[in-house]
Amino acid sequence: MSTISETLDFQSDASTHTILVVEHEVLARLVIADYLRDCGYKVFEAANSDEAVTMLQAPDVAIDIVFSDVQMPGDMDGFRLARWIRAHHPGVRVILTSGVERSADIAATLCEAGPLLEKPYAPQSVVDRIRQLMAKAATKP
Amino acid sequence: MSAASVTSFPRRSPPTILVVEDDVITRCHVCDELRARGLKVLEANSSDDAFAVLDRVRVDLLIIDIHLPGSRDGLDVARFVRDRFGPTQIILTSGRPDAPRIPDLDDVGVFVKKPYLVEQLLEVVSRRLNWPSASDM
Repeated sequence: MSTISETLDFQSDASTHTILVVEHEVLARLVIADYLRDCGYKVFEAANSDEAVTMLQAPDVAIDIVFSDVQMPGDMDGFRLARWIRAHHPGVRVILTSGVERSADIAATLCEAGPLLEKPYAPQSVVDRIRQLMAKAATKP
Repeated sequence: MSAASVTSFPRRSPPTILVVEDDVITRCHVCDELRARGLKVLEANSSDDAFAVLDRVRVDLLIIDIHLPGSRDGLDVARFVRDRFGPTQIILTSGRPDAPRIPDLDDVGVFVKKPYLVEQLLEVVSRRLNWPSASDM
């Protein structure tokens, strides 16, 4: 069981981070975005990679983490989006998710694109990944 | 009872709003401001996604751009909501100059012309939902 001070630490950690959820299945996106907001994160939603790129390029929006599905309609799937982010916004962390088993193998060759979370995922596992990534980022010189 | 003796109390539980807008920057900005006022906000970027949400969730207010990608436009979604979910409030937006001349526009909902100030939209939302506006908070 977490102590009160641990809970407060977690909430203050969450409130300082902004997550962009990229998912074309609207109901799946609403559920995870809501969950992350309930955990204290500021969350923006994008329905595809084009919207994600627009948000990342917006001058008044600072995004810390992109949580994106791999399978998306359009020219840019989640892998391509992750590569674009790495090239243009190297400070933004990426977590990919996929329901296709083969994607995990591809993701392993794209380790710079970040760890892959298999669908269906438990919402708490997304929070755990976010916390791991931000903790790792905080310890980097 | 005189009209002056009737008091309208602000509602307690947060209403649910569905914002349907294909301009992601506008959508995120509007949704962000609505959430900051304690409202429950769902968002969709097309009419198809709007129908998917409406099929599962009852909303108190629909804010929708008239011109949307998808198999049907925003006006179709708004008419569907008006006919199916009578009590749901509807706010329609558009930047097209001919939009205000849509024949049944006033029967469908309140029209807010684009570009709008978010504060202007929030005032309309507060009035439609009897929810405190920024100046009341």
